[in-house]
Parts: sequence; C-alpha cells; structure tokens
Amino acid sequence: MNLPNEKIAQLEDFAYQIRRLSLEMITCGHWGHPGGSLSLAEILAVLYFHVLRVDPQNPAWEERDRLILSKAHSSPALYASLALKGFFPIEDLYRYCQIGGIEGHTDMRRTRGIESSGGSLGMGLSIAVGLAWGLRKKEYTKTRVYCIVGDGESTSGNIWEAAMSASHYHLDNLITIMDYNKVMAKGFVWDEMAIEPVRLKWEAFGWDVIEIDGHDIQEINAAFYKARWVMPRGKPILIIAHTVKGRGIEETEFNYKWHTQHPTPEEADQMLRELSARYGKPIEGYSRLHK
Amino acid sequence: MTSVNETNANLQMREIFGLTLAELGAAHEDILVLDADLHTSTRITYFKDRFPNRFIQAGIAEQNLFGLAAGMALAGFTPFPCTFASFVARKSIDQFALSICFPALNVKVPGSYVGVPTSKAGASHNSFEDIAFMRTIPNLKVADPGDAADMRAVMKTAYETPGPVYFRVVRYALPDMFGDDHTFEWGKGRLIRKGTDVTLFGTGMMTDRCIKAAVLLEKEGISAEVIHLASIKPIDSEMIVESVSKTGCAVTAENASIIAGFGAAVAEVLVENFPVPLKRIGVRDQWIDSGEIEELFAFYEMQPEDIAAAAVQSIRMKEGRSK
Repeated sequence: MNLPNEKIAQLEDFAYQIRRLSLEMITCGHWGHPGGSLSLAEILAVLYFHVLRVDPQNPAWEERDRLILSKAHSSPALYASLALKGFFPIEDLYRYCQIGGIEGHTDMRRTRGIESSGGSLGMGLSIAVGLAWGLRKKEYTKTRVYCIVGDGESTSGNIWEAAMSASHYHLDNLITIMDYNKVMAKGFVWDEMAIEPVRLKWEAFGWDVIEIDGHDIQEINAAFYKARWVMPRGKPILIIAHTVKGRGIEETEFNYKWHTQHPTPEEADQMLRELSARYGKPIEGYSRLHK
Repeated sequence: MTSVNETNANLQMREIFGLTLAELGAAHEDILVLDADLHTSTRITYFKDRFPNRFIQAGIAEQNLFGLAAGMALAGFTPFPCTFASFVARKSIDQFALSICFPALNVKVPGSYVGVPTSKAGASHNSFEDIAFMRTIPNLKVADPGDAADMRAVMKTAYETPGPVYFRVVRYALPDMFGDDHTFEWGKGRLIRKGTDVTLFGTGMMTDRCIKAAVLLEKEGISAEVIHLASIKPIDSEMIVESVSKTGCAVTAENASIIAGFGAAVAEVLVENFPVPLKRIGVRDQWIDSGEIEELFAFYEMQPEDIAAAAVQSIRMKEGRSK
C-alpha cells in the first residue's frame, strides 16, 4: 500500500498544479477563497488521481464514487482537479465567476464532475449521508462517498446532526475528510469557537477517526487505504487532515486575510513565482499577466 | 385501516395524504419517506407500516432531514421528507432551497399542519409564511389542494413531475369539490362556479369557504364566480385575467399570511395584466394564537361571511371607480 516514489512525485505535481490553477482562477475571476483551496491540494490530488473511481468520459456512471465538497468555497481547487482529470478543458477554468462560466461555489447542473450544489456551510455532510444511504440501498457495494468538511464549518449544528445520523445508519461507505487548516474567515478557529477536542467529539458521535498530516501524500493515501480496506465495518470514518491554510505561499499561510481575497495580477505573478520555486519547478508567473 | 374511498368529508386532509402516500409507495419502489419524529401526526405511519425498509427516521433534526433527502435524490430515489410546514419554512429553508431546489433535485415536500387549524399548538406550529417563502424559490413548484380528490391528484402529479415540489397538507376535513376522475395540472385553475359580479379566488381549504361565501352573496343578489387555484406556482394567469375581465373585481382567500402569499400572487398577475379592485382574506401580519379552530377562523376573519363582506367591498370599489 506504500506508494512508489514516482507515484508520489506525480501526485505532488498534481497538487502543485491544483494550487497554481486555483490562484489563477481566483485572480482571473476577481473573487474567491485562496486559503481553503491551497490547504486541500494534496488531498484532492490523491483523491482524483489515485483513489476515486470516476470516469471523465462517463461522469454519470451510477456506481462511481462521489465527492461532496461541503466547504464549497474551496471550489477552485475542486474545479482545477476536475479539469486536470479531464472532465472539461483547462481553459474553462478561466471563466470562473463569469456569467455562464463556472459558479463561485458549486453548481452540479453547471459543471461536469461536480456532485452537489452548495456554498452555505454545514450542509454538505447531510447530502453525503443521504447519498451513502441511497447507494447502499442500491447495493453498490464498491461505491464510496467521500465528503470534505472544514474545521470552521464544524461549528455548525447541521454538521453534528449529519454526524449523528451517519453512525445511526451504520454508513461504513462514507469517508469524511476534515480539512483542519486551523483558520476560519476572520481568525484562528480556537479564537472564533472552541471546536476541540475534535477527535473525541467525532468518536463520541460513533465515528472511527484517523488523524494525518494532510500535506503528506504517503499519509493521505495510507489513510484512504485504511478507511477503504482495513477499518472495521459498520461505522462511518473521519480522516482529520491537519493542514495549513493558504499552504504554498508564505504570505497566505495561516493568514485569515487570505480566506476570501483575490490577488492583483501583479501579486499573483509574485505568488506563482514563489510557488514554483518552492516546489522546485521552472519559475513561472501568472499566465494571464499581460493578457 | 381506513380506505381512501370512504366518505372523504370525515377524513382530515392529512389522512388522505397519508393513505395516498402509502398507495404511491406501493406503485413506485423509488419512493422513500423520511420522518422527523412526527409520523403519527403527519400520517406517514401508513407508509411506515407497509414499507419499513423505505422509511427513514431522521430524528428531530430538520436541517439534516432535507440534506438527507437531497443525497437520496442524488442516488436516484424520490424522497418525501415529511414534517410540519413551519419547520420546513423556518427551520430548514436554507437546506431545502440550496441543497434541493438550486440543483432541482427530485424531492417532494409536504408541508403539514399549515395555517390556522393545527390543534392548539400556537405560534411555533402554525405556518402562515410558507406560501410566501416557497413562492420565491426558483425551480420549486407550489400547490395547496382543496379536497381529497385534489390531494390525490396533486400528489400523483407531484410524483410524476421531475424536480422539487412543495404541497400543503392541512389538518382539517373538507367536503368533496371534485369527483374521483379529477386531475391536477401545474398552472391550471378550476372554475368551480360561474358568476358575473365578482371573482373569488381560493386556494387549499379556503376554496370551500369561497363557495359558501358565493351562496351567501347569491342571497344578496350578487353573482360570484369561484375559481380554485391549487397550483400557486406556476399560477394560472390566463384564467385569472379572463375571469376578472368579465367580473371587474376580485377577492382572494388563503389559509396563510396575505403578505407575499397566494393573494399577493394573484395581485401580481392583476397589476401587471388587468388591474381591478382586489381584497385579500387570510392571516394579517399576526402570529397565530392557540384556540378552538373555528374560533380562530372567526378571530382572524377568515369565515365565509368575511369573504362575502370583502366581495361587497371589492364590488363597491369597482363601482366607485367607474363613476
């Protein structure tokens, strides 16, 4: 189950591209949430390029795995992943937040590969629970439902209603990932609302919990493998992924000011140069700087 | 168990709803029914008893209830999340609007215990705002059936209509208006009684009171046309305009707040197409009190006599204007 080095390098490259494209989209669309998109890059890279059973040529395949992005403001990272996977052309990403282009949060009727519509926080896990219940009822035994929730949105009561019901229905086909990036829209999570002890809370709600470094490809993959194949049956699983909000650029890391903020083209150019240097890639700035 | 075909006049609409849901469930295996700990009140117990494997208990967690329904619709089922209308409209409107109506998922939502007649529960359980809220949500269709046959027809059509539907279920027995061959179509009203002096537009249980008002008016020598508009959204603009172009004035009656509700929907059609005097009957910017049901209807001035009085005022406004 350990990934070979070349696979890790490939997934890290996808994570790098997800970060790049997210920043380009947000810059181009003059709107978006860089912090929560950048923290998700490795998790989405492992999901879309190693774990999820999805087919861009047949997006409506009934027995496919589903990914519900409950923290739908991190949609740039999801759209970037879908484009890289081949659900739609990369060029479409540059129509982010334009009328008729890509919706700011998520609109499943608008963009291929998006599995739910959202944006109002706390609501996605309920959808994932209903979906997992329904797919189990259909006896799609191979199908898994993955749901990404934020640490900030875990202050919402709806999350806990959903968590309680998932264990009540014994949904072991539901794997939830918490992007625990420590920062909400207006400050650190612990200053805004005391969500700890997170692990004990979910365990008390009847979930099995795995805790990982959410930027370590090997650890992320091992957690998904364990959740899919090793864990005891009959309970939903939460993967607490410790991440860094705004990961990849010094200015945005753990900085709530970059929760909702779009860089100017010049700022984006600097950020992307920094990002490429950090990942050992050829130095590359903002592709649309002079367009 | 009571049969649907027994005399409907003694059965509350919630009873008709519960029995019809069980019948629909027998015919369609994709139907799931979700409960928020109210199944004996909403009467989905009939479904629960017959199809326990397609009945999902969600607990008193209405926000989750609508999210679950969204997910189950995404998995290819046709869920009916069932709770009181006040909880749909006030407690979980975001989940209903965004998770279900925005992506136009195939979820059918009955709002139970609508309007004035909800036992003596008072403000927390009396929904007067649901029509107004639901009417503004894109992709959502809204209906308020007026008798047993209408309820069955609305539910059958709701099942056959792709996308989200909200329909009202009143805790009240209503006399038959329609026969067993009655059908329901979105955006189509029903002419119940022809008249020439004023049009009474009713929805849900209030159409019956419009008919009774028309009888009272007849005794005064006033000829009132009665139109039943179970389909609130879309609404039958054509029939509304056609009728008032003949009668020249109108009254609306709804078991809900008149603010932004059914009367407002009719007013919008009139103002934009054929402005005529209009009086509205319904709850007037008030919270609904606990009390005996018929006394409450009298207190909120929603009796046939009130509709008849409003009709006379509407006619006077018409006559005053033509002088």
